Amino acid sequence: MIPSRTSYWLIQHVWVFYLLAAVAVGVFLFGVIIHVSVWIKGIRRQTIPFSWRGISNLFLDGLLGRRIFRGDIAAGTMHILIMWGFLGLFVGTVLISVDYWLYHFLSGFFYIWYSTCLEILGLMLMIGLVWSLIRRYIQRVPRLERRIEDLTVVIWLFAVVLSGFVVEGLRLANQSPEWAKWSFAGHWLSFLFTQPQGALSIYPYLWWVHALLSLGLIAYIPFCKLFHMLGAPASIYLENQPLQAILAESRAQDKEVFSYRDMIFFDACTSCGRCVEVCPSSGAGEPFSPRDFIVWARDNLLMKYHPLNHFNWFENWITRRHTKEQVFEPQKIWHCTTCKACLDVCPVYVATPDAIQQARSKLVEEGTHMPPLLTQSLKNLYKYNNPWEATKKKRAQWSRDLEIPDISQSKEAEGLCYFVGCTTSMDIRAQELARSFARILKYGRVPFGTLGKREPCCGDIARRVGEDGLFEKQMEDCIELFRRYGIRDVVTSSPHCFHTFRNEYPAFQALKPPEEQVEFRVRHYTQLLRELVAAGSLKLGKPLNIKVTYHDPCYLGRHNQIYDVPREVIAAIPGVQMVEMAHNRADSLCCGGGGDRIWQEDLDADVKMSEIRIREAEDTGAEILITACPLCLIMLEDARKTTGLEDSLRVMDLNELVAMVMGLDGGGEQE
Amino acid sequence: MNIVVCVRQVPEVADAELEIDKEGTEILKEDLVMDINEWDNYAVEEAVRIKEAHGGKVTVVTLGDEDCEDVLRTALAMGAEEAILINEEGFELSDAAGIAQGLYRAIRDLPFDLLLTGAQCSDDGWAQVGLILAEYLGLPYASLVVGIEISEGKMIVQRELESNTVEKVEIPIPAALTIQTGINNPRYVSIMGIQKVRKTEIKETNSGELGLSEEEIGLKGSSVASQKLSLPPVGEGAEILTGSLSEICEKTTQIIRDKGVI
Repeated sequence: MIPSRTSYWLIQHVWVFYLLAAVAVGVFLFGVIIHVSVWIKGIRRQTIPFSWRGISNLFLDGLLGRRIFRGDIAAGTMHILIMWGFLGLFVGTVLISVDYWLYHFLSGFFYIWYSTCLEILGLMLMIGLVWSLIRRYIQRVPRLERRIEDLTVVIWLFAVVLSGFVVEGLRLANQSPEWAKWSFAGHWLSFLFTQPQGALSIYPYLWWVHALLSLGLIAYIPFCKLFHMLGAPASIYLENQPLQAILAESRAQDKEVFSYRDMIFFDACTSCGRCVEVCPSSGAGEPFSPRDFIVWARDNLLMKYHPLNHFNWFENWITRRHTKEQVFEPQKIWHCTTCKACLDVCPVYVATPDAIQQARSKLVEEGTHMPPLLTQSLKNLYKYNNPWEATKKKRAQWSRDLEIPDISQSKEAEGLCYFVGCTTSMDIRAQELARSFARILKYGRVPFGTLGKREPCCGDIARRVGEDGLFEKQMEDCIELFRRYGIRDVVTSSPHCFHTFRNEYPAFQALKPPEEQVEFRVRHYTQLLRELVAAGSLKLGKPLNIKVTYHDPCYLGRHNQIYDVPREVIAAIPGVQMVEMAHNRADSLCCGGGGDRIWQEDLDADVKMSEIRIREAEDTGAEILITACPLCLIMLEDARKTTGLEDSLRVMDLNELVAMVMGLDGGGEQE
Repeated sequence: MNIVVCVRQVPEVADAELEIDKEGTEILKEDLVMDINEWDNYAVEEAVRIKEAHGGKVTVVTLGDEDCEDVLRTALAMGAEEAILINEEGFELSDAAGIAQGLYRAIRDLPFDLLLTGAQCSDDGWAQVGLILAEYLGLPYASLVVGIEISEGKMIVQRELESNTVEKVEIPIPAALTIQTGINNPRYVSIMGIQKVRKTEIKETNSGELGLSEEEIGLKGSSVASQKLSLPPVGEGAEILTGSLSEICEKTTQIIRDKGVI
């Protein structure tokens, strides 16, 4: 006898099954339509062209789970067991339908091979599911939540596979075909039925239980976190497509805050909690977490656009889906430092910092849910063109004894424009960064100038909190100055200005006619230092014999992938021993100053983010903590004082260190 | 509930180095950043909140030159419906009663239930305009208000007195209140917010239209006239300590000891 598949053995009224299957697929499609109907309400910020990189990411991040494995091999393995088990069984079921309805091919050797594969896939799925339960409920991995949904989804899936095996076992016990041993799991189970004929009467019931569980699960998918099986691939594909800029004016006419891409990202989220684990604000005990924000945003969108949202039971269901931690008020988004740690660890690229920026723009427009200190800083930013409430005259005071050419005063400006930035110009501590850098440039005979008191704010501060109208105004002012003085080459003190020039300006420039676009090269000062070091222009002679550690600023590291450049400069200094902190490079912990948090002390928890970071520096045993950002410098310098580390640890900007080694530190300026 | 709020544009002086003209009569304002008077900002916010809770409309009035349109735009962006600009430079040297007279003429024919002004202005600091205005209008008034509860035909308002004392008073509607800072948390006005009210019409008027002759406004119409302005002389005795933190601390302790404090 040729091995082949038995379909609907002992089952009557098969049409009922088809009817239920149609209903299940109908509900599934309805659920998918609901999600899509929400997505299409979003702002269009990108087209969806074909992209090989998108396809390869789908393969690597989707099928191989690259980003799930990263940093958590156990989670990666568990997920791949479940995903491949599920996908395999799905493909297997599709093949059955093809075999039954279209073309009979599941017979003979191929059928045996097919059966064995399905047995393996079913077991993989079960092992993965049990493992997931162990991780969540026995190991109690801290980042995992324990909501009702987290349990029902796993139990349901498990019940589907288990009931399938039991039905198979009972059938095999009665039919005992010679190829039964190849369906090994069902075969083993068949030995449980010591009186196969007696158990036969319950077989149809078991079969229907399995059928109902399976069809029910299909219908359930779009209404639970399993929807990520569609949301995540969409999200992974969209991630690397370039974003278009939206002008504040056209945004003001939009009813929706989020782009459709943000909405797809939200639907890809499974609340795995990796973002919570790395979020510096959550880590400091502040009432914010990226996951809570995403869940809040997603639920709000559903309630706003869902076709069923005028039924009370629907609203109740949405709000009851989540338990204790779901009290998220919109004001909490001001806690985010936009450090991008959450996005870096997210397996499905949920761009939380970007979405938070969109949400902030809405709150800025309303104006009523803003922290008082932020309102104050933004008003200052508008009135004084800097957040430090300092008049224009004070902008160039840091350089009064350094004789730095003012580009706006000279006729030809061929050289480099050193864009000092608001904080570096105004804050007494951060001014040392500029003074050191200027001395190094002079020593290295690099022709450069500044915009003196005409230098405006680049717009970063407004941009980060969603004050897009002000950002665009400041960007236009900046571009106009660059055009007027023919500035083509810019170097910045701050990674924030650097990021804004490099990654925010071009999308807005692209909206203009070509003749109005201004192109310029921008570098962060660390890049210029490395060039000078490599060219041998700096005399790093004096051996220091000192142990240092380096703090990666978020906007240099994670946002712009510059990790090695500053380390190479440090390595070039003789006698310096470099040690890394527990969190370094892409894992670096934010100093707490980003996203305009530096001006909002009222949001701090009992322990500040900067204090957590400075403790990590202390743990390395380094004598100097080096950083490359004026905000980090100020935040960490403060933390050094509040944690009582003044005698054991110094905080220095990389420029200050280099200037010190070169003997350019002006003498006696250190405390 | 219809509310009228009087606002004023003032120079920001927190971080400015003020200069006085040669005659010693005026502070040079060219380099100063202008903004809405802080107390008035709280008054506008309070008016908008009352309107949001009880309905009606908010009208803002200012007295100054055409540059003062900016403060009216700010108030419109915050949620005011109408704005009136008394475009008249002649009030430059008016005293509090003179300013109140100008505002009174513009307001007296408006239908309103509540008149709000800031408790004082940061420029001249009279802290009188709101109260004189109430007298002209024949309205009951309360000053230094830090809380308003509205009920049928009357309000309970809280007034800030000395050393953390708050007085609750009942006052009938219509009435005039001068608003103290801290009564609320004024909303932020974004650039786009101002952009949106860019086209809202601002009613303009001037002293002629308001029936005030040149004799009645400015210095001529005032009982109080400024004689001379001068900057306070730089005092002596300030010393900036240098050295390490511990050295500075030691020196400070020494100075306190030497002066006989401890």
